[in-house]
Amino acid sequence: MHTDSADQKSSLQERLGRNWIAIFILLLVLLFSVSSRAFFSIDTAQLIFFNGTEVFLLGIAELFVIITGGIDLSVGFVMGFSTVVTSKLIVMFAGLGFSPLASILAGSAAMMVIGLFPGLVNGWLVAYLRVPAFIATFSMLGVTHGISELMTQGIPTKNLPSLAGIIGNGSFLYIAPNGALSFFARPQVARGQTVIAILPNMVVFAFFFILIFAFILGRMKFGRHLYAIGGNIDAATRSGINVKHDLVKAYVISSLFASLAGVSYVMKYITGKPDAGANMLLEAIAAVVIGGASMAGGSGTVGRTILGALVIAILETGLRIIGMQTFMTYILVGAILILAVIIDQVFPNRNR
Amino acid sequence: MADQGRRAVRPARSLASGGGAVGDGAGGGFFQTTFGRFSARNWALIFLIMMIVVFSFTGRGFFDIVNFQNIIHLSTGAFLLAAAETLVVITGGIDLSIGYVYGLASVLGAKVMQILGAGGMALPGVIALGMLAALLASILPGLGNGLLITRFKVPPFIATMGMWGICNGVTLFLSDGFMPVMGAPSQINDIGNSYFLYIDPSRSVSFFSKPPHITMTNIRSILRLVPNSLFLTLLVLLILGFVMSRTRFGRHTYAIGGSMDAAVRAGIDVDRHLVMIYAISSFVSGIAGLFNLFQTGIGNYTPSGANYELMAVAAVVIGGASLTGGKGRILGTAVGVLVLAVLENGLQIAGISAFYRYIGVGVLLTIAVIIDRAFPDLF
Repeated sequence: MHTDSADQKSSLQERLGRNWIAIFILLLVLLFSVSSRAFFSIDTAQLIFFNGTEVFLLGIAELFVIITGGIDLSVGFVMGFSTVVTSKLIVMFAGLGFSPLASILAGSAAMMVIGLFPGLVNGWLVAYLRVPAFIATFSMLGVTHGISELMTQGIPTKNLPSLAGIIGNGSFLYIAPNGALSFFARPQVARGQTVIAILPNMVVFAFFFILIFAFILGRMKFGRHLYAIGGNIDAATRSGINVKHDLVKAYVISSLFASLAGVSYVMKYITGKPDAGANMLLEAIAAVVIGGASMAGGSGTVGRTILGALVIAILETGLRIIGMQTFMTYILVGAILILAVIIDQVFPNRNR
Repeated sequence: MADQGRRAVRPARSLASGGGAVGDGAGGGFFQTTFGRFSARNWALIFLIMMIVVFSFTGRGFFDIVNFQNIIHLSTGAFLLAAAETLVVITGGIDLSIGYVYGLASVLGAKVMQILGAGGMALPGVIALGMLAALLASILPGLGNGLLITRFKVPPFIATMGMWGICNGVTLFLSDGFMPVMGAPSQINDIGNSYFLYIDPSRSVSFFSKPPHITMTNIRSILRLVPNSLFLTLLVLLILGFVMSRTRFGRHTYAIGGSMDAAVRAGIDVDRHLVMIYAISSFVSGIAGLFNLFQTGIGNYTPSGANYELMAVAAVVIGGASLTGGKGRILGTAVGVLVLAVLENGLQIAGISAFYRYIGVGVLLTIAVIIDRAFPDLF
């Protein structure tokens, strides 16, 4: 009897410990809602996702590599590289006489292909030349930073078609006050009436790719291989997994997602600059680790990484709404990152 | 001669097939000769000398005592940060927070001097208390890192990355959101930028301060030798180098990096030792940040994307340390710093866009590790 209740108690504790991140998010929302009336609304919720697009994408980028037991330091500057290349390509295509929409689509599509290369080199260095991931990806950080600085010569890209900003800051669905729905285009309404905008385009864009790769990681053989490699690379090799191949793929996916973050940045801010993602590395890794992945590899899921990124996104937007300065975000993200690891050691079964 | 050349190819071939197959390259050849072993072990030094030779031809004013002193003077921060990182890397850890501890010390020192100066305190008191505050505060992140890593078993990467965020936030708070902190006494500038010896060819020699008849207009006529910053760099590097190579503390550090378990079994108090290492690393970064205040006269926060800590790691690895721990020398790290600094300076003087240096760092770093992987028995 006594042991039963003790078991129950410990399992409750364990359940709380395992889902502390969800509880933490609820607490954050509660806290911000109490401190500011403007916080608890559909608009803020969408703003959180909109502002956090890059954190979500970079978090996923980092996740694929961290699962294999590696680390990708280059994501922030691959993102900056991507903003520069994407914006230059769009301007170039527009200059060739393409329509704005065609040049945006062509520029973004071309970047998604170019964006595979940093990962290809990273993966090749790590898997085939056995360069530690830290060094290989830091080198790539330098190379992408250098190339994008050389391309811009210190001047952020200008003259993008204004359509880019309309796409980047627009929403998927608009509801006019009379109940009429319209997709992509904001309806004209009388002054004083408000249009409800639902699903920012860039959030849809980001989650389109995130869902595809969540499926790949969670349901396909390749995903299981990544966990196996991160869990025990020797065992993975002996069980017939083509470890080198899969490692390269993980780094390629990472740099693809970093490039997507760059494309999203170009659409939102209508410019490209080398240091666009310079301070995003901490947030990307924090998202993955707060989401319960171990730096040693073998654990972490897309869903939990999204939750981890959500914590950061809520903090950033929430602190801005209640009028706190940016420095609090850095302090809190740093502190939560450390706390997450400590809590996970108390409840080690969180990822099972 | 031809024979030697042919044999030298062999290690290069096994290098391409990855680190595992290198054992067969150990059969003999160039890399078994004394000179070969020396050059493989000290490739960074040889590369440095080659760079100096090349840059001497590509740009006027590179091979010049004034320029060399400039390189040293401007690399003070890099030297100290990389030396700090070396200690941590030898234990098999990593300290990502040093770049922001650097900014924290600079900003905090300036802030304290600004407040005390405005309060009407005497100049020596202002400077001394500002320095004291910055140095004491710079130990705290390191103690925090050490305790998190040893008591709470947080991986060094995460603990120090979290501390990076915290230090960055505190620094931005102190600097009122992205404003350099002004108002420190201007005399600190004289300390930070003076030279040991001033030689005026026509008249006199003076120590530590400009001769009084020298003004801004004829400042180019005097020869300045040995910047004060060199004394600081040498002092820190010599102390750390001595500690690491000649004392029990140093031997224990290498032992921990070589095998943590063996170090525990050998009776080393590993936890206490690691806390000290991270505290020293943080403290030395604090000295570097404080000196930055003395050099520039303003408290500079670390800009985002500056990657001082990663540059320090790069210098450490180019200097021959391994990120898995147990290996690395302060002297090697100093060579690594010089390689990066000369690369930047040489490109600038040759008129090549300085942005190539980012690419150069990346390429060099990868080469460093591939060489390290290819000749594991040499080091």
